[in-house]
Amino acid sequence: MLIPILGLVLGILIGFRLPVYFPVIYARYISIGLLAAMDTAFGGVRASLEGRFDTLVFVSGFFSNTLLAAAFTYIGDRLGVELYYAALFALGYRVFQNLGLIRHLLLKEVTGHSQKTGKA
Amino acid sequence: MSLRRQGQTALAIVFIILGIMIALQFKTQQRITASGLPSRRLEDVTARLRDVELDRERLLDEVFDLRQKLSEVRHESGLIQALEDELKKAKIAAGLVEVKGPGIVITLDDSKRVAHPGEDPNAFLIHDDDVLKVINELAAAGAEAISVNGQRLIATTEIRCAGPTISINNTRVAPPITIVAIGDPEALESGLKMRGGILETLAFWGIEVKIKRETEVIVPAYKGSLKFNWAKPTS
Repeated sequence: MLIPILGLVLGILIGFRLPVYFPVIYARYISIGLLAAMDTAFGGVRASLEGRFDTLVFVSGFFSNTLLAAAFTYIGDRLGVELYYAALFALGYRVFQNLGLIRHLLLKEVTGHSQKTGKA
Repeated sequence: MSLRRQGQTALAIVFIILGIMIALQFKTQQRITASGLPSRRLEDVTARLRDVELDRERLLDEVFDLRQKLSEVRHESGLIQALEDELKKAKIAAGLVEVKGPGIVITLDDSKRVAHPGEDPNAFLIHDDDVLKVINELAAAGAEAISVNGQRLIATTEIRCAGPTISINNTRVAPPITIVAIGDPEALESGLKMRGGILETLAFWGIEVKIKRETEVIVPAYKGSLKFNWAKPTS
């Protein structure tokens, strides 16, 4: 579980060092893409903990979900449909669900044995 | 333990990318909040900014161009006087300066006569075409500058019915209507009083017309904006 956290911290450090900014006009789409990226990343952690991780599915999902979420929002804006909020609620819900499951799985791993012995 | 090792490299890479994205987005968002604008309006405002910047560039070009012309003209100092005279004439013709001189003042007011049954009460009111006819007559008699209720008549001036008022230079004007014209007072007055002319018609309907010759009248400058979106000089 350390590796994702270390990766995240490293990435954030790199990001703050980079003299790059997203174009302000696209900030709205990038924020939705970011949410999709978080969803996929946490989904990957969960799958890894559950022992049914597939590298190809994970990596392809990460990039395609991010781009598709941004593209979806963009198309929605062009069509006058607020797909932004649809994506926001759907992805936000899933991020929290995944985080909850990850917590459960981690707790089970840490305290699982003692609980079992305690029950027994 | 082997289960937890699954896909750790891929996870690490993806989380690094995620971290970079979060950091960049964070920085971008900080920039946006620093500007104090809600992000919903941002697209609007950026588009407008781009427009304004284009405008500014165009104007800077224009300033540069004009400065160059100015310095060229200064070099040939003898030309300045001639150009200024030309400009003054053009400005008077265009109605951009206040002018004074001998002329006449005409006041038109709605008829006080009570309409008999069967008569059209509209005929007792001043209409846009009444004003137009008077002005046409003045121009024909050699008026050099004309104003109606303070509105200078220029090349693009409209005189048009606008409900109970008359629209002149896109300004609403209501009776009593005062027309000031600069020109030879005698010629102007006799032009109006021509037999079978406009004054006879107006008098027939009881519209009150007062004509006053003046040794000096003032015709104001055109106060509207001069914008040419469509017309471009051919040369």
